[in-house]
Amino acid sequence: MSQGTREKGRPIPSSAFAALLYVIMFVIYLLNSPSAITLAGITDLLNNTIVLALASAGLTLVILTAELDLSSVGVIAVTNVIVATVSTKFPGGAFISLVLVCLVGLLVGLINGWLVTFLGLQSLACTLGTMIVCQGIALLILEAPGGEVAAFIMNRLTDTLFGFMPVAGLILLLVITGWLLFRRTRLGIAIYAVGTDAVAARLTGLNVKRTKWIVFSLAGMAYGLAGYMLGAQTGTGDPRISNSFLLYVFAAVAIGGTSLGGGRGGVIGSVVGAGILTVMQKLLFAVGVAEFYTNIFNGVIMVVAILFGNLSAILSLRQRVITPRYRDRQFVPH
Amino acid sequence: MDSSAPILQATNLQKRYGATTALDEVSFSLCPGEVCGLLGENGAGKSTLVKILSGIVIPDAGEIILDRQTYRPRDILDAKAAGLSTAFQELSLIPTLSVAVNLFLPKPKVNALRLVSMRSLEEEASAILNQYGITGVSPSALIGDLPLAARQRIEIVRAMLRKPRVLLLDEPTAALSEREWLFGLIDVLIARGTSILYVTHRLDEVRRLCKRCVILRNGKKVLDASTVGMTDEDVFSKMAGRSVVESYPVRESSVNDSAPPVLDVRHLSAARVNEISFAVRRGEVLGVAALEGQGQSALFKALVGLAPLKQGHLAVDGKRVVIRSPRAARAAGLVLVPEERKSEGIFNDLSTAANISIPIINRAASFDFIRGKRERRLVERGAALVDLHSRYLPPNIDALSGGNQQKAILARSLLTEPKCLLLFDPTRGVDVGTKHNIYRVIRSFVREGGAALFYSTELDELVHLCDRCIVIYRGTIVAEVSEKELSPQVLLSLAAGHVSDASQSLIPGNSTNGTSI
Amino acid sequence: MNDTGTRSLVSFATLKPETLTALLVLLAATLMMLVMKVLNPAFGSVQQIAAILTTSIFLVVASYGQGLVILLGGIDLSIGVVMSIAGMMIAGLTNGSNEALTWALPVTLASCVAIGLLNGLGVAFLKIPPFIMTLAVGTAFFGVALGVTAGSSQRTVAPALQVLMSARIGGIPIPTVLIGCFLVAGSLLQSHTTEGRKLYAIGSSMAAARVVGLPIEALTIAAYGVSGLCAGISGLLLAGYSSSATLDMGDPFLMPTIAAVVIGGACVTGGRGLYFGTFAGAIFLSALSTIITVLSLSQGWRNIIQGGIIIIALIVQSKQWYLLSIVNRRLPGKRSLYGVLPQNSES
Repeated sequence: MSQGTREKGRPIPSSAFAALLYVIMFVIYLLNSPSAITLAGITDLLNNTIVLALASAGLTLVILTAELDLSSVGVIAVTNVIVATVSTKFPGGAFISLVLVCLVGLLVGLINGWLVTFLGLQSLACTLGTMIVCQGIALLILEAPGGEVAAFIMNRLTDTLFGFMPVAGLILLLVITGWLLFRRTRLGIAIYAVGTDAVAARLTGLNVKRTKWIVFSLAGMAYGLAGYMLGAQTGTGDPRISNSFLLYVFAAVAIGGTSLGGGRGGVIGSVVGAGILTVMQKLLFAVGVAEFYTNIFNGVIMVVAILFGNLSAILSLRQRVITPRYRDRQFVPH
Repeated sequence: MDSSAPILQATNLQKRYGATTALDEVSFSLCPGEVCGLLGENGAGKSTLVKILSGIVIPDAGEIILDRQTYRPRDILDAKAAGLSTAFQELSLIPTLSVAVNLFLPKPKVNALRLVSMRSLEEEASAILNQYGITGVSPSALIGDLPLAARQRIEIVRAMLRKPRVLLLDEPTAALSEREWLFGLIDVLIARGTSILYVTHRLDEVRRLCKRCVILRNGKKVLDASTVGMTDEDVFSKMAGRSVVESYPVRESSVNDSAPPVLDVRHLSAARVNEISFAVRRGEVLGVAALEGQGQSALFKALVGLAPLKQGHLAVDGKRVVIRSPRAARAAGLVLVPEERKSEGIFNDLSTAANISIPIINRAASFDFIRGKRERRLVERGAALVDLHSRYLPPNIDALSGGNQQKAILARSLLTEPKCLLLFDPTRGVDVGTKHNIYRVIRSFVREGGAALFYSTELDELVHLCDRCIVIYRGTIVAEVSEKELSPQVLLSLAAGHVSDASQSLIPGNSTNGTSI
Repeated sequence: MNDTGTRSLVSFATLKPETLTALLVLLAATLMMLVMKVLNPAFGSVQQIAAILTTSIFLVVASYGQGLVILLGGIDLSIGVVMSIAGMMIAGLTNGSNEALTWALPVTLASCVAIGLLNGLGVAFLKIPPFIMTLAVGTAFFGVALGVTAGSSQRTVAPALQVLMSARIGGIPIPTVLIGCFLVAGSLLQSHTTEGRKLYAIGSSMAAARVVGLPIEALTIAAYGVSGLCAGISGLLLAGYSSSATLDMGDPFLMPTIAAVVIGGACVTGGRGLYFGTFAGAIFLSALSTIITVLSLSQGWRNIIQGGIIIIALIVQSKQWYLLSIVNRRLPGKRSLYGVLPQNSES
């Protein structure tokens, strides 16, 4: 700081490191299962990734504002059982359950947001509470795994469109495109500002509370959609919450380079992170690792994910590529 | 000065926080094209007033009329819409976003798709930076990469962008090494009819810019008059409620040259600190003078092991020490009284007594169990050293005023029996009475054989309290000023550095005694 | 010297709002049981109350560790798994007889402490967020336990433990006596030792703790270690009570430990709270749990009530600080927001 203004250019986004890791993992997986590169193989991989990707995308938004959200698995459980019970009951059930799922997710998100921003509750404890409540509601709707997801959902959403585009892939593309646009809106910029320094953001004139509230709500909807897609993948509803899945959602966000302290990272990284974890899981399965090792694996991978995320953040800040986006003619380096 | 109707009229503003009254029926007015100074000790109510005017805080009572309309902003945007902009002392800039984005927050321009185009934002920003005379800053640079002086300029420009009717500048020159830039802008604004409320502690600036000034003390307005013919003594006495002559304890040198220096620093380099060497002798108070962000904070942190050393060595009482953590520093006899009292100084959930006893709590315990009586005796001894009344000991430290909190921190530091006290702006946010107390404590500490390294943003403190003073600029020591040469003007000019921009660093024509306070 | 000076400075615990909260919680528990009694006269016999107090011991012990960790500003999500592991280990090692007890007991407890220390290491040195570290460790060790036991559950526990949980001294069930002793010991340790005081300080402001030179890493690791130990003890007692052990027997206790701490008035961000409060919360939740069972509510309702209680407790707590300590308002987050300071703000 005592050296005057120095043009530093933009840092390499830490999601780039995640992308690199993904490519490496994919290649390893490919070596093991050559069929992975076929359309069926890719569709299968994307189908396995989509639930985690949607959930971690939602969580990323909350984490960017320097808050935490544990309710993802709760919302997924509720929405999953809703799809499994409602979609076969009415004509057009697939669509109705989609709407319901979005509403439920939105509602939970609104409640979380209200509790955290207006009542000022700490987000970790508070979303832990809503997660448990959601699980309770899921159990009330469906006491044990069961129900049936409409065939339409199951078949169409796990399939390909026009014969070459996996639906899951299309959804992911929509998410990524949506994010790239969202990042450039006022709200998107506000999210980063609030997550970096909420006090300064307020002095700037940004409405910190409203920003956080919106973010929790959007996350809730994302979790809802994740639950919907889970129904599409499994064909049934499961009201039980998996601790491992909660770990995975956070691991995906961490690997992707989003800082748990807020203000840094993005959805793209988290989606890639979800991809990495899915490939890893499939790899372990393909190699024949025993079932109970997965728990150990889940635990270890979480810790490694955080460390990897920290490492890539450090690396990305150190190595900045000098590509000034706009040259100021009067710029005089000191 | 336009003598037509005032553009801003505040009447009987009142604000209480619990048991403390921050503002007590304060009224004043601003006319178009006028620059009015707002002065007061830390804790007098200046910042509350600024917050109320800016829309961040809602007063308990009182009315404000801005431009002939009732002004009741619920947030900053309301204030801006009504024509009032503020450049905050605690900069409202987001370090991870670029200059261009920061200039236009919270509502940067969007295109038809409601998206922000970085390129056009940066073009606009570039034009603005040129217009306002800010060179050397690229609009795509991240705020966090800029030096503090540049950030302060951007904060000021941001406030001026929307051509406000009333502009609040809160300590705008704290980090600026070259103030003419700001004064030029102010002249332009006044000519346009903008009114400015200029909050500062620097009397030379008040004289240069303001025809009128308002002084607050303890939440009340004690002066609202023209600055013509006002002497420094007048101002100080209004601000402090007492004469400045009796401010400082008589300084008798207790410097002991025969013993090795208590703290000897050689070639110390750390983040933002470059090859610093100095020594603090026994019985000496060595002052550190620097503008904001010149590396003094990094230096203090490195000395106690809160930041890693890149190179250099330290010796305490002649013996080499390696300090990697504050624990090690304490074992070596170095104790820091930190910069940010609220976040690094106090344990705000504990009582004052617990705050004082925490570093030496083991002394009050047998077999790990804390003995009430022993702790009480220790704490009372500490409190007596700093003249802290025992009634402040049981309550939560949160309930105490800034001054008393600082006394508690000082008491805690003294109880650890340090060899050298490292004091980082210990009188910031402290009322006058407590300040004098602190000066006395420091002097008596060094008289008994201790040593102190004392950094302060108030030049008068450095002049009157220290035996010697080093000046830090851009991470290195640029000068060492002996007792005879110590004066605020000398310190200020050295602290501003001679090597920055072409213009002078001293305000021409300033010949009064006692410049900044 | 004036009068307030003569009051004990050390017991910053006694007259604070926290004690009041704890008493209120106990009152609420009593009221709740009275209401139940009114609605269902068969409820509330002396035996039932005794049973409630006996079964509360698991939560009383396990929440102590959770309370210490939360005091530091962390959280321990591995408690359920550690409890189960302790139960499984003691059952597996003693296999229905008292012979092996003398060495099986320390081995089991040592393992639980080790898991806790692992948590502490990750949080203190790797700087991994506590909820992730403890969740990860819990999941991983669940996997280990699954592998070792190959999933098979029912084992029988040493009779001595079973007797401990069912016998009486002078007509009072041993567990009831134990919870009283634990309350005293736990409170002393947390509020009247130097380590406890340092924990409060670290939880209150880690930055200030660093400047003052407190042993932050060591105490963090120790706190998580103690949490592991408490979970272990609780698991042993649970195994004794149930006379057998299964791999998921600890699961229902994890969330209630958090709820107990929160209900008891401790601040989730650390630095505040008495063990007495957590204790009261544990009793309250045990009573609630019994009532839920008596009402034959399904698991779904159980969850809803549990989650709801955590949220309600958090809300009450945030308002409580506002009401009871207006001047001592605690501020969330790293920096204070303009305009929210209760005292003279500085310019």
